[in-house]
Amino acid sequence: MPSRTAQRTNKSKPARGNGFKAQRNGRGVARYYLLYEHLSGALNDGTIPAGGALPSEPELVTRYKLSRTTVRRALARLEEEGRIIRRRGSGTFARQNRKPQRLHLNLHDFFDDVSQLASQSTIAILRFEMGAVPTSLRELQPQLGTQALVIQRLHRSHGAPYGLTTAYVPERFGRKIRKSALNNASLVAVLDQLGPRATRTEYTTSAVAADAVAAKRLDVSLGAPLLRTRAVLTGGNKELYAVVESLCRPDRFDVRAAFERNSNRNSGSRWHLKRSGG
Amino acid sequence: MTRATNAGIGVTRYLQVYTVLSQALAEGDIAAGEALPSEPSLVRQYGVSRTTVRRALARLAEERCIVRRRGSGTFARDKIARTANARQNAAIIDDPRTVATNTTVRLLEFKRTPAPDFLHREWPEIGANVLTIRRVRSIEREPVALVTSYIPEEIGQQLTARRLGSDTVLAALDKLGFHATTTEQESSACAADPLTARHLDVGVGSPILNLKCLARDAQGRIVRYSNHLYRPDRYEIHTVVERERSLRARQAMRL
Repeated sequence: MPSRTAQRTNKSKPARGNGFKAQRNGRGVARYYLLYEHLSGALNDGTIPAGGALPSEPELVTRYKLSRTTVRRALARLEEEGRIIRRRGSGTFARQNRKPQRLHLNLHDFFDDVSQLASQSTIAILRFEMGAVPTSLRELQPQLGTQALVIQRLHRSHGAPYGLTTAYVPERFGRKIRKSALNNASLVAVLDQLGPRATRTEYTTSAVAADAVAAKRLDVSLGAPLLRTRAVLTGGNKELYAVVESLCRPDRFDVRAAFERNSNRNSGSRWHLKRSGG
Repeated sequence: MTRATNAGIGVTRYLQVYTVLSQALAEGDIAAGEALPSEPSLVRQYGVSRTTVRRALARLAEERCIVRRRGSGTFARDKIARTANARQNAAIIDDPRTVATNTTVRLLEFKRTPAPDFLHREWPEIGANVLTIRRVRSIEREPVALVTSYIPEEIGQQLTARRLGSDTVLAALDKLGFHATTTEQESSACAADPLTARHLDVGVGSPILNLKCLARDAQGRIVRYSNHLYRPDRYEIHTVVERERSLRARQAMRL
């Protein structure tokens, strides 16, 4: 009868509960890390306020169907990072957080803000060459053509990496860009200098699990959630100047926007980005 | 829910063409194996440029909804399980004209509660108690967003679950005369916690697109705070920024 085998399997793998089992996009991510990420998020956004108690170890074990060892590893990492304090006999508590400075991109102020961000960052150029445009991107943006200048950069603030960006610039503009110009300036500013002044961006925001490359560059674990953005920069006549794809650490960077609509009480009235001068 | 994200800025033309064609394919208006109208005829039909048509077709080809055969034309692919598409869903959810009719909502929570700590700490003016509404919004029975709204007590008093129906919270508040005129939004990514994972049908720890939104009325009074958790494969935030509109003076944003 299979019952005995089944029992043994169950017993030997107490951690394989349903909690983090249904993992889809973060294949190969350690279970402890998922719990760590989850608690980390709760500590960051104040769901567990400074001084507040974390669920007890047995509670975490039950709630997420994890083994005690896994729970302990997650807590140990948070403790190592100075985010929680464990008091024997009374429990685990969130420490006063030394709010890490988070960087923001304000979409209603996009063209000024990208330059501002670049001036606050240390930028390392990882790739700068004419290269093939990925098929999927080419189909979305046929104007890019098959070959474009590919610029991959890692952005750091106070030594900590927060964004990995890959820009594709159509060949005719790309040829004019000097690599050195990109060390401490935004691509928008560099293009401005050369002439093609971008006047519009279509900005898309999404989320993605960190792949091996992003995880390594941004110093996060494989499968960690990242903010993914794409900026399609165009000029007059919708001419394409660049497509910039970014992967950003959500704990160090976020995207903001302010919208407004007219105050007549018409529910059909439309929202638009806040205008300059307010 | 999040129509504020890009409502008013409007869906790009290419997306409109794409949405229409995509729907026609999904609903079998253009049957599997059947030819799509030619590019010039689509240009005429929709009154858009050739580039726009091509972008729409490229997107459909990328999603394996159509197949393009050089020299002979574009054809609907054999019926395959159509995966939900983030852009298309965003177009539906962000459009006030379609969000209530083309999506379904499941109400998980509708009750008066003390304001959560984080809310009270950040915006004490919201008051001690709030109306908390938590709903899952789906498109074609596939969950797309888990949205939690907090509404100040005096505003929430007149709202009932019945009145809310499948409207967005802001649309429902409009009807009650509470008209939000500004929103401040913050988008980020987070890992799905067990509750989110269950309601959005993803694995715990999967990346989730997180949008937080604070809406105020013309007097600056908080009308609603909301936290939106989206499946990134089924929704994305799309914003168009015109340079002329860019703010010179930086405005202090609290969110």
